[in-house]
Amino acid sequence: MPHGDFQPIAFSVIAAWILVAAVGVVTLRNIVHSAIAMVFCFLGVAAIYALLHAELLAIVQILIYVGAISVVILFAIMLTEAQSGPVAMFFNRQSIFALPLSVGVAGVVSAALISAQLPGVGSKALNPGVWQISKALLSEAVFPFELISLVLLAAMIGAILLARREEEDR
Amino acid sequence: MNAVDWYLLLAMLLFCIGAYGVLARRNVILIVMCLELMLNAVNIALVAMSNFMPGIAGRGVLFALFIITLAAAEVTVGLAIVIANYRNKRSVQADEFNRLKG
Repeated sequence: MPHGDFQPIAFSVIAAWILVAAVGVVTLRNIVHSAIAMVFCFLGVAAIYALLHAELLAIVQILIYVGAISVVILFAIMLTEAQSGPVAMFFNRQSIFALPLSVGVAGVVSAALISAQLPGVGSKALNPGVWQISKALLSEAVFPFELISLVLLAAMIGAILLARREEEDR
Repeated sequence: MNAVDWYLLLAMLLFCIGAYGVLARRNVILIVMCLELMLNAVNIALVAMSNFMPGIAGRGVLFALFIITLAAAEVTVGLAIVIANYRNKRSVQADEFNRLKG
C-alpha cells in the first residue's frame, strides 16, 4: 500500500482478530463463551482506534466496553441462565433467511466500496489529540455533553426501577 | 482502495455479522450483545472517516464518544428490561415473549 499512515500488516491482523471474535459471538452455543468472544472483539476495536490515532477513544473503549458493559452483560447472563436449564434451539425460525440476507448486504456494499472512489479522502492522519477533544467537548459540543449526563442519570434511575423487585406482589 | 476503504470494509463486515446475530439468535441477551457489535462497527466507520477526511477532521471522534456513552445507557436499561421480563416469564428466548400476540 502506498499510503504513508496506513499499516497493512497491523491492520489485517487486528481486522482478522475482530472478525473471528465477532463470528464467535454470533455462532457459539454457550452464551458465556459468546460474552468472552465479545470481550476479545471489543479489545480488537480498541486496537483499531489506537491504529487510527484516537488514543482517548481506545482507552474509553477499554474502560466502558471491556470494563463495564461486558461485566453488566455477564451479570445478566448469570442472573438469568441459572434456572433456565438447557436450551434445545439456539437459532430462531427466521435464521434461514437471515444468513443470505446479511451475506447479500455485505456483498453488495463491499462491491460498492471497492468500485467507488470516495471524494475528499486523504491519507494523512487527522484525528485530534486529547487536548483538542476536551476543548471541543467544552466549547462547541457542550450542549450534548451536558445532555448526555442527564441521559445517563435517567437510564440509571430507569434501570433501578425496572429491575427492582416489587414488594407488594409477594 | 484507499486506507479509509479498508476500515469501512471492516466496519461493514462487523455490522453484517452483528445484524445476522440480531436476526437469527433467540437469546435476548445475545441479541443485545450483537447490537453492541453493530454499534462498534458504526464507531469504527466514524473514526476512520474523521481520521482520513479533511472536511470532517476530528468530528467522528466526538460522535463515537457520545455513541459509546449512549450504548452504555442502552445496555443498562435493556438488560434491566430483560431481567424484569425473566422474572415474569422465566425465559430469555425472544420468540417466547408473545403475550401481546393477538
